[in-house]
Amino acid sequence: MDPDAPLIYLNNAATTWPKPPGVIGEVERCLHQPVYEAGRTTADGSTDYPSVTRDALASFFDAERPEHFIFTQNATDALNLLIHGFAGMQKVPFHAITTDLEHNSVLRPLRTLEAGGRLNLSIIASDDGRVPLQAIRKAIRPETRLIVMTHGSNVLGSLLNVQPVAEYCDANGIFLIIDGAQTAGQIPIRLSDIPAGAFIFTGHKALFGIPGIGGFYIRDPGSVASIRQGGTGTDSASLTHPHEMPQKFEAGTPNIPGIASLRAGIRFIGEVGQDAVTARLRSLTSLFIGKLRDDPGICLYYPVPDLPVVSFNIRNLANGEAGFILAKAYHIITRTGLHCAPLIHERIDGGNGCIRVSFSCLNTREEIETAASAIREVAAGANR
Amino acid sequence: MKEYVLDAQVTGQFLDFLERFGTVKRIEQLKRPYFSFEKEHFISVRGFIGDPTVEVRYAKESRDIVADYFHLMLYYEREGEPGIEKLKGIEGTMREKIRVRLGQDLGQTP
Repeated sequence: MDPDAPLIYLNNAATTWPKPPGVIGEVERCLHQPVYEAGRTTADGSTDYPSVTRDALASFFDAERPEHFIFTQNATDALNLLIHGFAGMQKVPFHAITTDLEHNSVLRPLRTLEAGGRLNLSIIASDDGRVPLQAIRKAIRPETRLIVMTHGSNVLGSLLNVQPVAEYCDANGIFLIIDGAQTAGQIPIRLSDIPAGAFIFTGHKALFGIPGIGGFYIRDPGSVASIRQGGTGTDSASLTHPHEMPQKFEAGTPNIPGIASLRAGIRFIGEVGQDAVTARLRSLTSLFIGKLRDDPGICLYYPVPDLPVVSFNIRNLANGEAGFILAKAYHIITRTGLHCAPLIHERIDGGNGCIRVSFSCLNTREEIETAASAIREVAAGANR
Repeated sequence: MKEYVLDAQVTGQFLDFLERFGTVKRIEQLKRPYFSFEKEHFISVRGFIGDPTVEVRYAKESRDIVADYFHLMLYYEREGEPGIEKLKGIEGTMREKIRVRLGQDLGQTP
């Protein structure tokens, strides 16, 4: 193997790479400026990145209130703030619902609260990668206050129809948190059409930001307690953390380069066009699956993904070994293991994990064809 | 996981030696011929025949007990058959410590 052979990066559901040049340029520009501090004297020419990025997010997601976008470290951080913050507002133990498609960033905060006697948790089994409203309604009890569900599975690549769930929750006083870590930037999302309590996104995946930036949009900030207090640059004489948005959920110096990268990533998607991005990803995914579908040495777990995520195993070869061979012998970066979503793996592969490839719109058809060919070669070798 | 660069490339002869202590898998019909070595409760090794770089993973439950095991393998491999016998003796001691810790019969060395 030529050590200088180009890298084919197919782990974009974890973190996209490469980043568009405009993202890297914006981070560099940002670091060349003094940090803008809202409400304080600052240098001329500094950009108020948090404010302009909130505006960009509101436009991108078609959301009404830019100040209701909160910046966090990532989707996990956002989920923790919301889940623990929502529980903090409940005076008695309550019932919460989630699904078996969830990432540990959902499951672990919920399980932690359950272990502490704060909530009872029901986990709904998905059906062919989906969780219909009917299944959720069956699990609802009089004391159900919270539902946390993914918008798209990071293992199967299935897209969940969250709109009817959001409408039901909105009409029945249940706080719905949608985990959009795998969908934000992949498909068009109009939050004005989805009356969820909160929508989570992360910057470093399909929004093309750098690692360390994510966030959420919250419709009614009064539903969730602030669990992080500190300096906000406003109302500094008060020892009580402000209730105004966005300060209620943000304290301390924000990740300004991360926020700048998020804005540039959104701008990049806007320039290409979200519909064009989505169409390209579907085309790449379809091309890849078409190359592997009929190979007897390969087991595809969800051959009709809505998102650019394909999970599979090579027969007679552990997924970790397959990932190692692909990386070291073919320079193809995949992701192996449980992908932090252990419950769905119990169902599809007995909890042994799988190989996941995931595309970004910057992948080329040639890369997909080369990767598929390499995977088939490894499968043939393992099953000779 | 630790990555080691060995003094020499991995050869078929080295894999024959490893086979005396655990399960060796070879997939030779690839761009780079792959091998893995698995020894339950001890270590697993991955790499390519003809390449000096290997990845070694240590069993979580006995990481402290088997920390030197791979180094001992490399050392005793050079001694040939007498080295194999010495290493099996050391391995028996390690196996007993692991058995006590896990409270289960680990079976015999292959």
